[in-house]
Parts: sequence; C-alpha cells; structure tokens
Amino acid sequence: MLAYLIRRLGAVIVMVLVVLLTTFVIFYMLPKWAGQDLAVLFAGKNSGAEQLEGIRQKLGLSDPLLVQFAEFVKGIPFGRDFGSGNNVTHCPSPCLGYSFRTEAPVWETIKDALPVTAAMAVGAAVLWLLGGVAVGVVSALKRGSIWDRSAMVVALSGVSMPIFFTGMIAMGIFVHSLGWLHIDDSLSSNDSIGTWVETLILPWIVLAFLQAAMYARLTRATMLEVLGEDYIRTARAKGVTEPVVIRRHALRSTMTPILTVFGLDLGILMGGAILTETTFNLPGLGREAVQAIDGKDLPMILGVTLCMSLAIAFANLIVDLMYAVIDPRVRLG
Amino acid sequence: MTAPMHDTTTDVDEPAPVAAEATAESKAKKVEGRSLKQIAWNRLKQDKVALAGGIVVVLLVVVSVFAPVLVSLFGHPPNEGNLDQLEDLTNLPKGALGGISGDHLFGVEPNTGRDVFSRIVYGARISMLVAVLAAAVAVVLGTLFGIIAGYFGGWVDAIISRVMDVLLSFPQLLFIIALVSVLPDDLLGLSGSGVRIATLVLVIGLFGWPYIGRIVRGQTLSLREREYVEAARSLGGGSRHILFRELLPNLVAPITVYTTLMIPTNILTEAALSFLGAGVRPPTASWGGMLRDALSVYEHDPMFMVFPGLAIFLTVLAFNLFGDGLRDALDPKGTR
Amino acid sequence: MPTSTKRRFTAGAALVVAALMTTTACGGGGGEEESGEGAGYNAGIGKIANKSNKKGGTLKFIAKQPIDSADPQRAYYGMTWDFMRYYTRTLVTYDTKPGEASNNLVPDLAEAKAEISDDGKTYTYKLREGLTWEDGSKLTSKDIKYGIERIWATEVITGGPAYLKQVLDPKGEYEGPYKDKSKDKLGLKAIETPDDRTIIFKLPKPNSDFENMLAMPSGSPVKQEKDSKAKYANEPFSSGPYKFESYRPGKSLTLVRNKAWKKSSDPIRPALPDKVTVTFSANKEENDKKLIAGEYDIDMNGTGMTQSGRITAMQDHQGNVDNMQTDFIRYVALVTKTKPLDNVDCRKAVFYGTDFAALQKTRGGKLAAGDIATNVLPKAIPGADDYDPYGVLERKGKPDAAKAKESLKKCGKPNGFSTKITARTDNPGEKEAATQLQQDLGKVGIKLEVDTILGSESSSITGSPAVTKKRGYGLVMSGWGPDFPSGQGFAQPLFDSRFIAENGNYNEAQIEDKKIDKYFDDAIGAKSPEDAAKIYTDLNHRVMDLAVWMPFLQEKNITWRGSRVTNVYSSAAYSGRYDYIMLGVK
Repeated sequence: MLAYLIRRLGAVIVMVLVVLLTTFVIFYMLPKWAGQDLAVLFAGKNSGAEQLEGIRQKLGLSDPLLVQFAEFVKGIPFGRDFGSGNNVTHCPSPCLGYSFRTEAPVWETIKDALPVTAAMAVGAAVLWLLGGVAVGVVSALKRGSIWDRSAMVVALSGVSMPIFFTGMIAMGIFVHSLGWLHIDDSLSSNDSIGTWVETLILPWIVLAFLQAAMYARLTRATMLEVLGEDYIRTARAKGVTEPVVIRRHALRSTMTPILTVFGLDLGILMGGAILTETTFNLPGLGREAVQAIDGKDLPMILGVTLCMSLAIAFANLIVDLMYAVIDPRVRLG
Repeated sequence: MTAPMHDTTTDVDEPAPVAAEATAESKAKKVEGRSLKQIAWNRLKQDKVALAGGIVVVLLVVVSVFAPVLVSLFGHPPNEGNLDQLEDLTNLPKGALGGISGDHLFGVEPNTGRDVFSRIVYGARISMLVAVLAAAVAVVLGTLFGIIAGYFGGWVDAIISRVMDVLLSFPQLLFIIALVSVLPDDLLGLSGSGVRIATLVLVIGLFGWPYIGRIVRGQTLSLREREYVEAARSLGGGSRHILFRELLPNLVAPITVYTTLMIPTNILTEAALSFLGAGVRPPTASWGGMLRDALSVYEHDPMFMVFPGLAIFLTVLAFNLFGDGLRDALDPKGTR
Repeated sequence: MPTSTKRRFTAGAALVVAALMTTTACGGGGGEEESGEGAGYNAGIGKIANKSNKKGGTLKFIAKQPIDSADPQRAYYGMTWDFMRYYTRTLVTYDTKPGEASNNLVPDLAEAKAEISDDGKTYTYKLREGLTWEDGSKLTSKDIKYGIERIWATEVITGGPAYLKQVLDPKGEYEGPYKDKSKDKLGLKAIETPDDRTIIFKLPKPNSDFENMLAMPSGSPVKQEKDSKAKYANEPFSSGPYKFESYRPGKSLTLVRNKAWKKSSDPIRPALPDKVTVTFSANKEENDKKLIAGEYDIDMNGTGMTQSGRITAMQDHQGNVDNMQTDFIRYVALVTKTKPLDNVDCRKAVFYGTDFAALQKTRGGKLAAGDIATNVLPKAIPGADDYDPYGVLERKGKPDAAKAKESLKKCGKPNGFSTKITARTDNPGEKEAATQLQQDLGKVGIKLEVDTILGSESSSITGSPAVTKKRGYGLVMSGWGPDFPSGQGFAQPLFDSRFIAENGNYNEAQIEDKKIDKYFDDAIGAKSPEDAAKIYTDLNHRVMDLAVWMPFLQEKNITWRGSRVTNVYSSAAYSGRYDYIMLGVK
C-alpha cells in the first residue's frame, strides 16, 4: 500500500512537471519563435530600449529557458531571490514568482482564489455524484416510471447545454428577475458561510447539471445489470432484505464504473469551473487564469496551471484509492 | 470542455431475444461485411428520435453550406449595421423581443444592429467547420496511434498510452485557451480568420484524439488475436497490410460512432473558446462569441442571448441523439 | 420500454424545457432599490454638485481596472494620478476647479510657481514651510530630488512616464539612485538643492511644458530611507493628507488620515472624509449595479458606465448622472507606409467615405460615445479649434460618396482598393466600430478586412512598424489621451517622426513630415503657452490636411455620481474624472 502510494505520488510529480514544462515552452518559446518580445507587452506607454532592457531584467526574461524553468521549480520548495546586487527581493516558499502585471506574489493570489474554485468544484462534484447516483438508483428500481423518464430527459439536455448558457439563464431568472439570490463577486474567506452558499448555489447546480444526469443514466444501466447478477439473486434467496441488497451489494458494484468515469471527468470539472467562474464572475482560479492568459501574465498562468494539474492528479489518486474501499477485489500495489 | 463519450445508453432492459439476435448478427457480419450496414440502417430507421436528430444534422449542414443563399433570401449581410433599428439612448433594438420583425427574423444585435438571423446562420458555418475538422484531426491521430499501440504493444504501447494519459489529465480547456492565444497569427501562411480556424481545429483535435485512441487501442488489442489476423500473418502479410487492410475495416463502426459523438463535444468546446474570447476572431460571427457579447446586456435584451444559446443547444442535442442512435444501431452492447 | 419511445420523449421534453426557460428569461430587468436623490443631471459638469465642507465618513470607490502602480514614479494611468493626490504632493499641481479651469497649474509643495530664467532653462522653486512626511519628519527639497531621480532607475522603476528624464538628461548620463556612487545618492547634476527649501532645475534645452511634467506624480518626493524599490509600490510613504492603511494589489486599498499632515502647509486639499476605500472588482456590470444600489460612491476608473448600467441609470436615476467630456480621442491612423495609403488622395477617400455618425452610434450614441471629432486635438488642449477640412459636421457626420469617388480617381484607384484595419477586441465597441467602418467604406469601393487584436498585445503589433508592414495593415483603430494638457503632451508621440520606434510605437501612421517635426520643436521652445498654442493650431491643421490620422470621436461618457458624495465636479485635468481629492461624504 505504502509503496503504491509513493509510486503514485512520484507519477503525480512527474506529470505535473511535464505539464509545467509544456506551459513554459508554450508561453516563453512560442512568442519568441513568432518574433514577439514579451517585454514590450509590459512596457506600457513608454518603451525605449532602456526601459525594455529594464523590464527584461526584472522579469528574468534574458536568462535561457531551462535556467528560468529550473529557477521556477526550485522556488516552490525553497523560495527564491529576485533581482541582483543590492536590489534583491526574497520570495518565500512556496514561491511561484510575482505577477508580471500586478507584481503581487502569485501564491497570494492563488491562495485567495483557490478556496472559491475548490468550494465550487467539490460542491458541484458532490452534487453531481450524489444526485446522479440517487436518481440513477431510483430510476433503476422504478424502471419506466415518470421518474425514470424525466431523468432521461434532463440527462441529454444537461450534456447538450453549454454551461455558460445555462449559467446565464439561471442568473437571469434567480438573480436578476426574481432577485432571490445575490452573487458576491468578491467572495473571500472573510465572508460568512451563508454568503458562500448563496453565491455558490447556482454555480453548483449549473455545473452539476452538466453531468449529473449522465451519471444517473450510467448508474441506472449498471445497476440494472448488477441486479441481474447471480450473487444478488443468491443474497435475495438467503433472505437478505431488499434495502440491504441494494446498499450492501448492488450499489457497491455499481460505484466502480462510476468512479472510473468520474476520474476521467475531473478535467471537465476544471474546464467547467473556468467557464462557470467567467459566467458568474466568481473570483476563483478560472477567472484568474482567463485574465492571466489575456494579459500574457506568465507567472500567473504557470501558478494556476500548476494548481489545476495538481488538483486533477490528486483527485485521480483519491479516486484510485476509493476503488480499493469500494471494490474489495481491487488490490493496490 | 471536452466531454468523454460516456457509454450511457447501454440498454440492459432490452428484451432478451434482441440480445440473442445481436450476437447472431455479429456472427453474421464475419461472414459478410455488408450486412452489418444494412442491419444498422434498418435499426436506425426504426429509431425515430435518432432519425430526427439526423435530419436536424443534415439540415445544419445544408444551412452551413448555403449560408450566403439563405441570408440573401431571409436576412441581411452578417456584418451590416442596421443602426436605424436601434433605440436612441440605449442602443437596444427597437420593438419587443430584441427587434424581431419580418425583416429581421431573430431581431438585431444591440449597439450594432446586425441581423441576428444572419449571424446565427453564419455562426453555424464556423461551428460545423471547426467541430467536423477537429473531429477529423482527432480521428486520424487517434486511429493511427490507437491501432499502432494496440497492435505492436510493448514499449510502443507504453509510450503512446502514457501520452494519452497525460493529455487526458491536463486541465484541457485552460491549455486550449492558452495555446490558441499564443500561437502566432501567421500560422501556416494563412491570414485573417482562416488562421484562427486552423488553430482551433488543430488544438481541439490535438486534445481530442486520446478519446478515440483509447477505444481504437482497446479494440485492436482484442482483434489482433483473432483467427483472421493470425491467418493474414501466417500468409506473410506485413504489419502495414494487417493494420490497414485487416484491422482497420473492423474498426470503422466504433470509429464512426465516436466521431459522431465527438462533434457535439467539439461544438461545445468551440463555443466555450469563443465565449472566453479565444475562439474565432470577431467580426466573424460565432455562437459562442455572440453569447460573450450578450453576457453584458442580456439583462436588458435577453433575446440576444437566447438565439445563439438555443442554436448551440439544439445542434449539440441533435448530434447527441443521432450519435446515440447510431451507436445502438451499430454496436448494441456498447464498448465500455 | 423500447429505446425510441424513450428518446422521443426526451427530445420533446428538452424542447419544452428550453422554451420554458426562454420565456422566463424574457421577464428581464428587476427594479433597483432607490438610494437617495441625486443632485441632478450634469450637476457635476462645469459646477460643483453638493457643495459642502463637512468632514468625516468613508468615501467608497469601486473600480474594474486596478491602479497600475501605487508608486508615484511608476504610475501612468490618469485615474491613478487623480487618486495619488491623496498621498503624494508635487511642486505644482492642477487647480481644484471644475472643467477646463483645472488645467491651470497652482503651487503645491512650492510656495509659488517656478521662477523661470530668461533663457527658459532654469526653474527655481521655494518650498512651503511645515511640509512633513507621514512619520512627522521634515520634507525637504532633497526628497523631491531623490524622488525624481528614481525615474532614472529603469531596471526597477518601470511603467511611469519618462518625460523628466528625457528633458533633464537627454543623453542618459545619470545612472539612477540605485547605482549612484555618491554618498547621498543625489548625483543628478540637472537638479540642485542649495538648501532644504530650494530646488533648482537646469534644463539643457527650454521646454514650455516643463512645469506640466513636474505636476505628474513622477515629480513626487520619495524619502530615501523609506524607498523599498520595487516594493515601494505596496507601501508608498505619504506626503499628503492620507496614508495607506492596507493595500492588496488588485483587490482593495484603504487610506486613512495622515495625522502628520498639516492643513496649514496645504491650501489645496480639503481632506474631508476620514477614510477612503477602493475595491477592485472585475465585473463592470456588477460594479454599476452596486453603484446604483448605493453600496459604493464613485467608479474610480472614471471611464463611464457599461451599457447595461447606463440604461438603468438614465432611465431611473438621471439625477445621479454626469455626461462627462473626456480628453480622449477615438481615431483611425492611416499607415502612410502601406500602399495605396501612401497617396494623400487615397487617404482622403477614407475620410470622405467614413460615416462618422454611424461610428458614433455604434459606440453608444452622442451621450455615451461623445461628439464627432473634426481635428486631432481634444477640446481642452490649447491649439484645438473647429477646423473641419473634410466638411464632416456640415453633412452631420454622413459620408460624401461623390467626393470619396473623386479622391479615389485622383489617387489612380477609381474602383477602390483593399486594405486591412485592426481593432482591439477588449476595448468595448471598437471591433463593432471597425466592422461598421468596413461596411461604410465598402460602399465607396474601399474593401476592409477587419483584423482584431488583443489590447495587451497592441504595442508589439500595431506598435511595431515591421509587424504592421508584414501583415499589411493600412488602418489602425485605437484611442489616445494626453499625458498633460498641451500639444506636446498629446500629440508628439503620435505624429513626430523621431518618435517612431521599433516596438511600442505610437506614431502608428508612421508620419515622417519635416514640417510637423519642426512645429513640435518650435512649440516646445516657445516663450509662452500662448505662442505654443498658435503653433499647435498650425500643426493640428497640417495633420488634418495630410489626412494621415482620422479622429472620429471626442469621447464623452456617462458617469455615476453617488448621492452621498459632496463637492463633486468633473476635472478636465484628469480627463473629465471627478477631482478625487475634493470629494467628501454627507
């Protein structure tokens, strides 16, 4: 078990490094190949040669790519120093550098934005898993009922609706027209739980709507298959009550494929988070990412990418660990 | 937003005889390849909803191809500013429902007065073009790498599988926006909106192929041990021959199904990119771009949001319905 | 249940759901809560709305765009300069009067405006008595010199205007205070500080706008021992009536009273509120809603409300609205190096073919977009007049197809020509305006291809003559405002051939005209601002006659004035923004 964990963690680190290096190449090398000078983008109204050189030095753009990359990676566990001579700023660990645009430490921005995205993603994931599985189970047990049919309707609509359109409609109705909810677009850790819930409830629903129904269909299909299996029949024959059959036996086997799919969907969850944050204008990682990309703010882009890939990698790890819990046949190692 | 193609239509509640029939059919298909198509077509014909989806898809293709004709008949040039259709102070469309009238079937855009109908029609072009071409890129790459990985196995398989895993666990949307925003504007010697379309096709395709690749790899793995492949090998057929003459024809069905299901995903991705400002460059009309513009005024002019939103929704729904039907017809037990 | 029935049901119901959503969404627009009465429509234009000298309370700004830097030597945004008067002082500053009267300079740290030598090369100031820093220490002429010297430290102090450096040390001999070998780090020869209350500037060449340059925050003092270089942007040391309490870049900023500041040393700043807060929040529509709801008082960006916000404001709260005249010009530069725009008649065809009224409408109409511009200088800048060589106003902004065709014939392109126009996607309304221009010019045979670019990248695209040439751009649509209210402060980077740069070039039309260059030299060396203004008038006409730069709007915007705010007026010196230092709350 421990060996497995270590191996997986190693894989996560390698994976994240690959993602980071790719990001680095995309943002440093591509513009260079296209003959663009990054420093010019940050020079503003005056961009004499002297100013440009100053900016290049300040942003560390004059070093070779690999040096810049190594510096960046080193900064995460150990912190790093910026500038030279008598003009040094120390950036403590975990150092992700300073934003090219606002010059704020990237880590500070991420620290503020992360809880919003995390709360949104986790909430939505819970809603879509629980909602999806619950509806799926009911659909399977009450096959052909109105429940069953409505679930199917919502399923296809859900995956066919662009999330930003759903979001705009939801906001149009519940925020602008009815005025039931208020979206706090400067959500921070100082706000009360009530504010968080009020702000995030629509994003949760919208994001969960995208996929929950698909999970319901998947659950329903798997459940029906499982209910036909021999061991369920055996359990029933032994006199185990129906709720126990469902909970102990059927649901457990059903969860394995659901989890597999869920592991694959984490990327969608992140993509959905970016879109949802843009639509609802929430101060999360997604919004920071879009702004950073528009502004070519490399350290911010790297920071956000790092965070998102880490999140995806770790969530996948958790999913894998959960297999073992749910399905006793799975052996880790 | 690249959604994997979930196999969620595995209809286990189909009556048992049908399942038996299916097995019979799959046996039959080994005898004669043609009958599969016929059987599939017969099944598809029975499936009214899938057919409806298919008809909508065909309609969309027609609309995209004949956009200029349609617009000349029912609309205005997509970039023409009908400023007389706007209110003085607010710059919102005159009249109810976003300025819908006989002249402007879907009303006009706020601020510019451009005809929404024409822009939706031209937007369909972009959506279809990008989605279909990106799917094509994904299919070519996915089939090629999937078949190679599955057939050769060993370290080739290991490398390709690893690359696919990495691509699948990237924060994809983030990467696509990032890539699109930095790729040079004079890529491949194209210019204007052509560059962006090419970039979008390449990037979306690049992130889409692992989905096809996995399926193809899995199928190849199971097929390569079959007798007829063995036979071809013992008859001295080269790898190339076996890959493309023997294996590929048997992969056509799943590839077709997943291509059909990949297109709606690509449409959503293209729309999402345009919505985030990383899609086709304005003033070229695109559905996602219209929604982006609508985001700032939809409170005062909701119709401007409704048309592009519905266009995306209906298109994606139609493709999904058709794709599901096609899968049921070609591959009743599903693959996953 | 057979699959097909199920799916038919699905499809049908999906449609119903969609239709339902559509109808509900159409309900649109709920009522906003009233937040007290405004002082009246345009009550802050040319006069003072809610005049009061009541002290106390908290003034609350909101802004979409964060300030570029809180470091006085590194800020370049007009709104930041307006705001900086809360905590930085300069030798001279803009007068605290409504409208164009604000463009006059008045002494701030200095007792009086400069004593200028006869050759126009020496400026001497005497400082006021009792000037202090926020720690109570004395503010001296050396602090001012040190602050200005920081502009030379281009490896750290980036982003701010470089005028003072160019004027005082055009050859770049001084290396900046961080590399300064002298003990007191005051090695710049062009500035002398014979005693703590005297400061003398020695210019190699006279410049009639020199005092304007000193009025920019880059002329602010910085206390040497408090200079934390790059980090100074997070912790500027105050010389004004307020100091930083907390600052989270891009998030929020709070100013509180600076107890060490003495009213007796500062006749300009009334310092009414006890506290000033700024919240940076990216959603402009949402910000407008909060302003209307009374949660915030003023939009610090001062670039006008969004379409959504102004619809609500103009319909329900006209008393809280000011229609401000900014000093911003919306323009199309005609790249003189791109064929066939190297020909003056082809350029004139563009002028005649343009539907100025349509551009105005697309950008929001007369109130939200501004008046049609007929010449290059903003109204408040000396040298502007009503020169209209192409008769735009006579035709009420409509195009003159006949004259356009005639010009095309003269240029040897009777059937028109094709070229590309750039517009920035992230500037609201610009891509729409460019598309509109494409339609209008298309009618006279000039075919445009609209190429949209990202605003953040424009300095390396339209700001690079090489890229402009490579991509064949003929027209560049953009906007421009002055750094200080004079022809030099507005027009030199745009039209002077010596300002053409490889990158970050703003002479986008790539005008190389000896006459224009000479006008600049003459005006800058002129004895009085009045003489300079006359030369700028000639320059203005010259640019218009050459048809190289087509202004189309003198921008106006619709701005929210919170009901609680007192002493509000639009100041021309800050591009029509309210004079932030004057504001109080009820």
